Formats: sequence, C-alpha cells, structure tokens
Amino acid sequence: MPAIQDISESIIRDNITRAIADVYKTMLGRQVILSQASEQGFAEGWPPVHVPGEKPLPQVVGTVGFIGDVNGLIYLYLDTELAQMCTCHMLGLTEAEVIALGDEVVNDAIGEITNMTTGGFKNRLCDAGFPCTLTIPSILRGNNFSIEPISSAQRYIYCFDCCGHRIVADILMKSGD
Amino acid sequence: MRKKILTVDDSKTVRIIVRKAFKTYDCEITEAGNGVEGLAVAAREMPDLILLDVTMPVMDGVEMLTKIKAEPQLKNIPIMMLTAEGGRENVLKIAKIGVRDYIVKPFKEEVLVEKAGRIIELKPLSDGPSKVRSILDPANILILEDKPVIVQQIQDGLKHTPWVFQGTSTQTEAFGYCVRTPPDLVIVSLSLPDDAAFVLFRNLRTNVKTKYLPVFGLVVKTETAPMQRAQEVGFTAIITKPIDMNEMETKIAKAMNLDTSRRYFSIEDDCLIMRLPENCAPAVLVEATNYLKPKLAEAVDAGNNKAVIDIHQVKALHMGVIKLLMQAMQTCRDLGIRFALVANAQIVTECKGFEDTRGWTFFDTLAEAKQHFSKASPAAAPQLANV
Repeated sequence: MPAIQDISESIIRDNITRAIADVYKTMLGRQVILSQASEQGFAEGWPPVHVPGEKPLPQVVGTVGFIGDVNGLIYLYLDTELAQMCTCHMLGLTEAEVIALGDEVVNDAIGEITNMTTGGFKNRLCDAGFPCTLTIPSILRGNNFSIEPISSAQRYIYCFDCCGHRIVADILMKSGD
Repeated sequence: MRKKILTVDDSKTVRIIVRKAFKTYDCEITEAGNGVEGLAVAAREMPDLILLDVTMPVMDGVEMLTKIKAEPQLKNIPIMMLTAEGGRENVLKIAKIGVRDYIVKPFKEEVLVEKAGRIIELKPLSDGPSKVRSILDPANILILEDKPVIVQQIQDGLKHTPWVFQGTSTQTEAFGYCVRTPPDLVIVSLSLPDDAAFVLFRNLRTNVKTKYLPVFGLVVKTETAPMQRAQEVGFTAIITKPIDMNEMETKIAKAMNLDTSRRYFSIEDDCLIMRLPENCAPAVLVEATNYLKPKLAEAVDAGNNKAVIDIHQVKALHMGVIKLLMQAMQTCRDLGIRFALVANAQIVTECKGFEDTRGWTFFDTLAEAKQHFSKASPAAAPQLANV
C-alpha cells in the first residue's frame, strides 16, 4: 500500500486544479485559474480569502471530507457574491429568485460544488492507490474566522481566480488509521 | 405512456438540475432525499428509471441499490448512478450490484439526458395540442449536400415559403448542428461519400434530441440501391433529382405535420375564399378535399355564410378539379352557404364543353363575386352561381 508521503504537493496541486476547473467548466461554464499556492500555510492572513484592494465580503465555505486509506477535508471558500452567482447559473434562476429562496438554496448549491470538487480530487487519489469515500457536505458562513488543523495533518492552500472573484481551496490530509 | 424518472439525491441542487434537464421531455420527475425515501417512492411510483447518488444521509445509494436488487417487484427498474463518488474500484464495485450506467459528477445536462434516452424512450414535449403549426409558420431545414448548386436550387425553388434552409457539406458538421439547435427537418444527399447519409441518419436516431426528426433522402431517380436502403432503414421520405419543388413542398409539409389548409382556404371580409392553385396535381386535390368540409363548417360556425370558389389560377380543367368543385358546391348547399365561382376565360370556355359544367356561371374577379353578395338579397343569393 502506498504511503501518504508518496502524494507529493505537485500531485495535490494538480488534482485540485483539475477538479475545480472541471466543476466550474462543466456546471458553470466558467474558467478558473490557479493564482497562489501555499503548503503549511499557517501565516497570518491565510487563507487569503479576500481579493486585495476589494471590499471584504462575507464567506460561504463548503466542506466535504474523504475517508479511507487517506483521510482529509477540503474547505472551499467563496464570497457571497460568487456563491450567489454560481447558484443562479447552476439552477437556471435569476438573482432575484435566488434571493427570494434564501440562503438555504445557496448553501445547498455550494455544498454540491464542494462535493463535486472533492469527488474529483479524491477520485484521482483512489486511482493512484488510495481508496477512500466521500462524506456528506456541510457549510460554514461568516467573516473573519480561521480553521486550525490538528498537528498531524498536512495542509495545502490554493487560490483560484474566477470572474474577478477568489476561490480558496484549503486541503487538510492525513494517513488513514 | 409518460415516463417516470426518480431522482434520489440529498442535494436539492442536483434534483433541481435533473428537473431542468428533462423539462423539455415528456416525463415526470419524482424526488427523494435519501435511500429510505427513495425506496418508498420507487415502490409507490414504479419509475421507469432511477437516478441514484451514493453519498447520502440515513441510507446511502449503495444500500438502496442493494435493497432494490433484492426486491422482486423493483429489481428490474433500470438504475443510473449520478454521483461524485468515482474511482475505478468504487465504480466497478457498484456496477457489479447492477446498474445500467454511471455518471460521475460534475455532469452536463445533455449527457444525462442522452444517457437516460438510451435506457428509456424519451419524447420531446410538443408545443401543445392547441398550437398546430401552419404552412405559414417559419421552420428551419438543414440540407446535407456536397453540391452547393442543389442547396441553391432548393432555396430558390421554395423561396415563397417561410422556411429557412441551411446548407452543410459534412456529416460531422450536420450532426453537430442538429444536436445544438435541432432543425424541423433534415434533407441529406444519399450520394455522399463514406456512407455519410446513413451515418448521419443512425446518429440522429440514437440521439434523444434528434431521434424523431424527419429525415429526407435526396437521390438521383435512377440510383435505386441507396433509395431502397434509405426506405428500409426508415428515412421519412425520398426526394428524387431532378427535384419537383411542388412535390418536395408537399412532402415537407406532411412530414412536419403542418396545417396546409391556408394554401386553399382563407377568410376575407367575412367571406370564405377557397382558392385552387395553378397546378391541381392529385396530391393537391386530395389535400384540398380533406380540408373542404371542416373549413366550410368552421366558416358557418364563425358566422361566415358566404363563399367564393376561386379557380382563376387553374390552367386546365380536368375531372379531378370538376369533382372537387362539385363537392364544394354541394357542401355549400348542405350548409346553407351562399357561394360564387371565379375563373379565367379559358376555364370558362372549357366548362362549356362538359355536360356537368355547362351551366356554371362565373365571375371574372374576386371583387365582382364579393360585390354580388352585397347586392343580392339572401333569398336570391344561392342563384349567384347558376348550377
């Protein structure tokens, strides 16, 4: 059985970049570009969820885990404007309709985007010899919060640009027990 | 019968996308948010297809799938997995339990519909029974032909119609066009190299968006082998070269199920006008005869009790035309409609030569015929045409 140390940062980066690009292209017809990457990004201001120079917007964060020979979690940060835009596009609704339906519909859409992204990421790990399965998505909303991983977890942070907005993928991984 | 599709997914977003994907097809979508609900809905609704997610709370998709396969009443319902849970081993493990197809999210709605269409018969929704398309409505017709002169001939020959003809020269281009924006009809040359006409036909019939599209084969009259083959595989109609434009127009109208009555019948100034064209070929007479009684009855129902039978465009009188005119006049009498005939000098002369038509009286113009209606008293009106 391969060890988690065999999964290099370049594999992680490649997997997440492809997974996000695939989801955004297929479901939303949008292009995303990797703009920044950081391994073990614990420095202040990380993850850099806000676009520099822009007014900070509240965040919608989707979380989906994967469990098996490798365990992990992916947090996907989107600002509320981008989250709403994605919801409109995926559901074929207008902005007014999405607002009328409330936050729940946005949460569900972002949960599904995170589910598909994490699926794409972990399916590549499965094919590389790390069988694992997905968990059910959950959503966090708010401003100025930070996630601190347990010390045994490996952390990778990647920023993507999409239509003038920023998407941050915060990946935490550790070996299966 | 309307097909039923059950989507089992804990994400409302996915269930909405599934509904959206199938909204232009004649099918009913039912939903469940987990495996337990899914089993209950499946037992109640007996769907024709189940779209099943894997990762769900309460009961996951693998457990639901296993339970369905163990249930004699449900085990034959085809199941298509629609899940972010991929990876070769996972897919193989689930496929072994018994699924018809497996889509790994993210997915395109067209792919979902196309794959579902391979499992169940999906019919596109029509605009509704109340809206019958007429010969005067626009339509898009795609022509796959490598000779631009033929495309031009068709465009010129049918330029009096509201139909728009788009020419393409390769099978790939034609199929792509049909899938992107399905036209109302496709005309394809049977003489294209590499069996292109038959490849296109097969592709169109296996794609859910295009499987009911009328497809015409275009071939030189003497090329009987491809003609026969096209008929055998199910081409809607064959058009032979040199092209008879009238025949082609009639066949197109029939294939698109168009209401062609407005070619012959119209209402002008509270008066029903029945107008026969210059060339009264047998197909034209059959078509006009079929509309005759319903159109006259419709006119009476709408309060129009005057009719002008206008044959001034007709070039030659023959038994088919005479029979139709006699039937029209008799129907007018039966329905109490006052009528008048309009014809050109040649037809008037020809009428003198037949026993049955010798006594018919004609007006020279439509305006004169209409004027006589206003002059004649209701009691005298039936004598307007002396028959």
